[in-house]
Amino acid sequence: MKLPIRVSEESREPIYHQIETQVKALIVSGQLPPGTPLPSIRVLSSDLSCSVITTRRAYQNLENNGFIKTVQGKGTFVKEIDSDKKEETKRKVVLDAIVKAVEQGKQVGSSKEELQSIFEEAIKKAFND
Amino acid sequence: MDTNVLNINGLTKNYKKFSLGPLDLQIEKGTAVAIVGANGSGKSTLFRLLMNVLQPEAGSIEWFGQNLLRKETEIKGEVGYVGDMLEPFGHLKIKELAALVSHWFPSWDEKYYSQLIKRYQVDEEVKFGKSSKGTKKKVELVLAMSHRPSVLLLDEPSAGLDISSQRKMKEDLISFMEDGEKSIILATHNVEEVKQICDFITILRDGKEVCTFMKDDIYDNWGRIWVEKFPQGLKNNPNIIAYEENPPQIVTNNIREMEDLLQTEQVRIINMQRVNLEEVIEYFVDTEQ
Repeated sequence: MKLPIRVSEESREPIYHQIETQVKALIVSGQLPPGTPLPSIRVLSSDLSCSVITTRRAYQNLENNGFIKTVQGKGTFVKEIDSDKKEETKRKVVLDAIVKAVEQGKQVGSSKEELQSIFEEAIKKAFND
Repeated sequence: MDTNVLNINGLTKNYKKFSLGPLDLQIEKGTAVAIVGANGSGKSTLFRLLMNVLQPEAGSIEWFGQNLLRKETEIKGEVGYVGDMLEPFGHLKIKELAALVSHWFPSWDEKYYSQLIKRYQVDEEVKFGKSSKGTKKKVELVLAMSHRPSVLLLDEPSAGLDISSQRKMKEDLISFMEDGEKSIILATHNVEEVKQICDFITILRDGKEVCTFMKDDIYDNWGRIWVEKFPQGLKNNPNIIAYEENPPQIVTNNIREMEDLLQTEQVRIINMQRVNLEEVIEYFVDTEQ
């Protein structure tokens, strides 16, 4: 099983955090329904060319936060997530992405008003308004 | 509890024109370590010392917490070694060679051996000495894995291997490590192998360890920064690995600190980019520095 996860060349985020965020997004969006087996730590590390220490950290955080569970000798699986948590995570995933975009905007010198109008434009584009 | 599979302390081997060490190295259980270095940097000498094929002038080697000289037989049973050591048996057919090797190891798994020989499409009736370089490597790898070791010590295992065998080897090495209890020490010139298999990288240059780092440190900490002009105040900064003109740029192994320093020096950062593993290895491996 190959997950549509990638390590970004541009992002400054640590790799374990990128893995965590992307797996969470796949889970809360329903692309990985409860019970779906995840690749082993070793296999995912190889796919992403990162170290097992990094992947293990991501899986541990996901497990501690109740997104996945590891069954001894069987592997790692997606857990059932209650809808409150799903909504909260969805919100968090989107917020993080927007925060990043805003930071990028600030970096190139956009004003608050400019950013707001760009945001409006992006929404219009996405929803074909 | 000691989680190291290998502890090397002050290991030294002297030749007329080359010395290895003194070398200190620890390898943690459950990890894959790449030993990288130019030709003649001491990788094969190190591996031969680790198998007690060569004896050091000084220093000690402990495998699984036990001294190599005192527990050689037990230790060798747990280590699968690929490193051109089967040449003296070139007159044997591969089948006969396997029969011989199987006697050395009580843990020999004949069924697994047959599976692997088939998987790598090796003709057992051919004499080992008459086989191609790639086939010899395949046979060595199959024999090393067939006694179910807990560590694989691999000296350029993919040299001469065809593409499909390289893929199979990669898959087999990854599944070997699957339970998190087994370890790999891999000397290689193949960066893809380092990327896909290894967790740590140890770089040797002229028989000395230049550095050991986790592979992801490069992603997290290394960077190339294009600057307006090179800040003279940072000339001897240990975090600057390289500096190039036209346009002025710095390669650093601590990007956050470098950003702060440049800000303090009031040098404008024009652009930043990640450095890839190949570049980093070259910076360390090159002897000119």
